[in-house]
Amino acid sequence: MLSAAATAQTTSVQAASAQEEYLHGEALFSGTIDLHGRMYTHVAEMPPAVVRCSNCHAVADGPGVARSLAPRLTHNLLLLRRTRRGGPPTNYNRNDFCTLLRRGVDPGFVMISVEMPRYTIDDANCRALWRYLIESGHENSGP
Amino acid sequence: MKTAAPDLARRRMWVGAAAVCAATLGSAIAPHALAALVAADHGRIDPPVPIPDIPVRRAGDGASAGLAVLLRGRATALHLMFTGCSSVCPIQGAIFERVQALLPDQQARGIQLISLSIDPLNDTPQTMRAWLKRFEARDGWIAVAPEPKNLDGLLDLFGAGRKLIETHATQVNIIDRQGALVFRTPELPSADAVADILRRV
Repeated sequence: MLSAAATAQTTSVQAASAQEEYLHGEALFSGTIDLHGRMYTHVAEMPPAVVRCSNCHAVADGPGVARSLAPRLTHNLLLLRRTRRGGPPTNYNRNDFCTLLRRGVDPGFVMISVEMPRYTIDDANCRALWRYLIESGHENSGP
Repeated sequence: MKTAAPDLARRRMWVGAAAVCAATLGSAIAPHALAALVAADHGRIDPPVPIPDIPVRRAGDGASAGLAVLLRGRATALHLMFTGCSSVCPIQGAIFERVQALLPDQQARGIQLISLSIDPLNDTPQTMRAWLKRFEARDGWIAVAPEPKNLDGLLDLFGAGRKLIETHATQVNIIDRQGALVFRTPELPSADAVADILRRV
């Protein structure tokens, strides 16, 4: 059985790790760290600067993206069950989210629009991006 | 189908009439009238549709020019954009940047790229020049803005009728050396596809 001190230390390490992951996700979202993506009908990747998430999407209650109709990525948008793109009611989990980023297919097996890039993103980066979106999706809820 | 031939003949007659009007009246012909002749969402446009000589302002010095004059004698790829757009327009710019890289002999081939602003009230010659610079545009890629009164018709003609600036068409319009619209790509085409089409025009 772990001592109280050891338990506190483990919790602290997990919290630090979670915070690092959140910040890493934020950096991926904003483009501080490059994401690599290509358009659906293209072979070559686009320059990272033009496929940043934040070029089109706003997060939670942060500032919106002027003249962009891409959805605001909120906790509710991702996690609440709802119809999307004419498909059946669905909600995202982390795996669905990563599949959408990589292959452009949403949880209802509906393809997303051609304007949304398809990303080459590994599990660790996708997990970080998901954590950022889910945890920042509540008002004033950053760590 | 039995009706195909008469339909095509009728379309050719209308395009012929439109071309005569365009030649006779210059900028007096409205792009709206021509847009109805561009039936295809994308693909070859047959018969070709002449582009009217509407005035546009050029990036950089802001000089006024007639669009038809800019087009004549060159094979042109034209897309719609605006400099305050952070979503799809940077992707469109990156595509044209790559087209230029794929066509090092672009000038010798008489090929040009045109970025046509759909936000003429906000896109100044200076902001358009900065936009081109952002994508390291070389000679043979220009940006122009129409007069606001002509914008609606141009959205019909080049933008498949999509009027919301936020959801503007991201297709590339291909215009032949006679200044007629001959092809429209699907949304956000690859640079390879655009370069390939331009080599054949």
